[in-house]
Amino acid sequence: MSRPAGEDACAPKKMHRKTFKAAVTLSILIICALPIHAQQTLRWGADPSGGAPYVYTDPANPENYIGYEKEMVDALAQAMGRRAEFVPSDWETLVSALQRNSFDVIVNGLEPTGDRAQQIAFSNPYYVFQLQLTVRRDDDRIHSIDDCKKRIVGTLGNTAASRILQQQGIPFRSYQDPVGAYRDLELKRIDAVVMDVPAEAFYARDNPKLKQAGSPFSRGTYVIGLRKGDDALKADVDKAIEKIITDGTLERILTKWKLWNDAQVEFQNSVKTKTAPTVPFEMTNSSFNWGEALMRLTRAALVTVSLALGSMIIAVTLGLPLAVGQWNGPRWLKVICTVYVEFFRGTPVLVQLLFLYFGLPMVTGIGMPGWLTALVGLGLNYAAYESQVYRAALEAIPKGQWEASYSLGMSPLLAFRRIILPQAFRIALPPMTNDFVSLFKDTSVAFAISVWELATAYRELANASGQFLLLGVIVSLFYLAMSLPMARLAGMLEKRLSNRSIERVDEAEVTA
Amino acid sequence: MIKVENLRKRFGSNEVLKGINFEVPPQTILGVIGASGSGKTTLLRCMNGLETITEGSVTCVDVKLQGGQSPAEYKRCVRDLRLKVGTVFQHFYLFPHLSVVGNVIEAPVHVLKTPKKTAVAEAYELLESVGMKHAARRYPESLSGGEQQRVAIARALAMHPALLLLDEPTSALDPRRIATLRGLLRGFAEKGHTMIIISHSIGFLGGVSDNLLYMEGGHVVEHGPTEQVLNAPKDPRVKEFISQAE
Repeated sequence: MSRPAGEDACAPKKMHRKTFKAAVTLSILIICALPIHAQQTLRWGADPSGGAPYVYTDPANPENYIGYEKEMVDALAQAMGRRAEFVPSDWETLVSALQRNSFDVIVNGLEPTGDRAQQIAFSNPYYVFQLQLTVRRDDDRIHSIDDCKKRIVGTLGNTAASRILQQQGIPFRSYQDPVGAYRDLELKRIDAVVMDVPAEAFYARDNPKLKQAGSPFSRGTYVIGLRKGDDALKADVDKAIEKIITDGTLERILTKWKLWNDAQVEFQNSVKTKTAPTVPFEMTNSSFNWGEALMRLTRAALVTVSLALGSMIIAVTLGLPLAVGQWNGPRWLKVICTVYVEFFRGTPVLVQLLFLYFGLPMVTGIGMPGWLTALVGLGLNYAAYESQVYRAALEAIPKGQWEASYSLGMSPLLAFRRIILPQAFRIALPPMTNDFVSLFKDTSVAFAISVWELATAYRELANASGQFLLLGVIVSLFYLAMSLPMARLAGMLEKRLSNRSIERVDEAEVTA
Repeated sequence: MIKVENLRKRFGSNEVLKGINFEVPPQTILGVIGASGSGKTTLLRCMNGLETITEGSVTCVDVKLQGGQSPAEYKRCVRDLRLKVGTVFQHFYLFPHLSVVGNVIEAPVHVLKTPKKTAVAEAYELLESVGMKHAARRYPESLSGGEQQRVAIARALAMHPALLLLDEPTSALDPRRIATLRGLLRGFAEKGHTMIIISHSIGFLGGVSDNLLYMEGGHVVEHGPTEQVLNAPKDPRVKEFISQAE
């Protein structure tokens, strides 16, 4: 199959010269016409973060974007007589951004799916992709996707790969970009990664710690996404795709990016000869149904609650020694506590989480799982805030309370425990409740490290279904259903605390 | 009962107490009188260990707190001293998170390890003796100044102190309540309590104390039976203070 590719390659060369001439003529015409008619733009959206080799920031020149799709869009635009303009965007929200008219087309290795077809229109395909399974080099358990039934597989969210994994019932974790997935594979947070071959080739193939497991599988196509009803543009784009395939421009670009392979030869031949491809391309459908969505949201809500509770326990426990150390400790301890507090209050919790998740393993070589990282990270962060609440409360207790306790013969520890702390706790409780509610909402930053909590769930489900509004309402209800009882619980606790001493004495009275 | 010998207290280079000597016999009330800044509050704070003694000593029953003791020894002595000396502060400092009876039983239960049942029974007796039994289950914030003071007296007495210190007990009271307090304290003295009352109200101290001690500039200027100090002071400064007060 590789021979025809070589033969074909000669023909487009001649054609290329023609196009080149045409292009030069066209450019001259355009330059002459420029002052009168500005050239129409083709605004295209894609996610450049971790987006190699599709489109990504040029490491040599960070002002610039490069990638095979970047070059392809430039060629397409040229064929359409337009000027390509790249609009950096976010993979998960590409479809909604297109609908909001942020750009004219999506060119980002987009696969046609049934659910996307309900929201946007597709061009004809321009590339045939396959999936590649990658494992750690020393792993001899996994040879194909079928060996992954009870392991966790990483992949990009809302892609053909993630849908295939979902359909086969393989537990998987969604990532925002390939870098994170392959790094977690190295760190043993997951056991395998399934990725489109272009990304796999760029990010994993040369990594000595990883290896390919089995050969590429499951063919699918990349298409360009357009707004529904943009028929004229679709016709133009389809024509341009056919043009850059038949004149060899695309082949040259793909060859340059080492993406030219048998699958492309077969596909491009079918385009050139206007025949159906011999191997049909699989089209994945996301199996979105409301029952499952609600179940996944409930699971995510449980993760959110556990995260919030766990972090708050850490924060409340660690906050007290911090507060006491900063308030009444020896000088060196005061310095340590102050540095801790200022560090955690002065830097964004998102940065702290990313550091714990990605940075720390580079130092220690041990990677904590995402949920634990989120739990510890949020706990450490909020401990800084809780310590300040405690400290303010402790400082608000008049000195006379200490002196009265001492003159009744109490030791400092007893006075602290019996007299100062209960009063301080009462002062601290309302701000602590506030902090807890805000911690509860802050758990959503855990989406940055692929923890499947409520905000992540919303984002992924809404992107898969396009139901931003309805799912948004449901997710908000979930949050409210959890935070309102919490506020009520805190209110009851406050009330109970102020009654506790009465009850205690009442008991004593009965026995007296 | 309590003996203060050559007591000196310095804050940096500022000497506030310049060698105080006196003794309080059991079951008597000593009134300490003097203008603001005479050092009487510092004297009280030295007698319950809230200020460290620079020099000299305070002896209460068998506990001797001395300037120049090793920190560990001093700490132990302060703790023992505080079990012998009860204090009623000018601003009372009741524990706001505890009820009236809770305030009274707190130290007996957690410091003396008195069984709660015994402590509560005793607390009710004490509250009755200060006329506060009816408010036993109320919280300090709902009490008037005079009521808070009486709870503070009951709280201090619950520890069975050998000596009771009262700092400016009349400052928060109206004249009628002052008369009630005088009767209350005299009653306690007759029941065998020993007290030191710090005040700048000659009228109050004249009616309640057995002996008077006049302080000025960190010195004891005059110390003697109340009658004698009030009616025939030896020192002209005392005479002047009394005449100004009247």
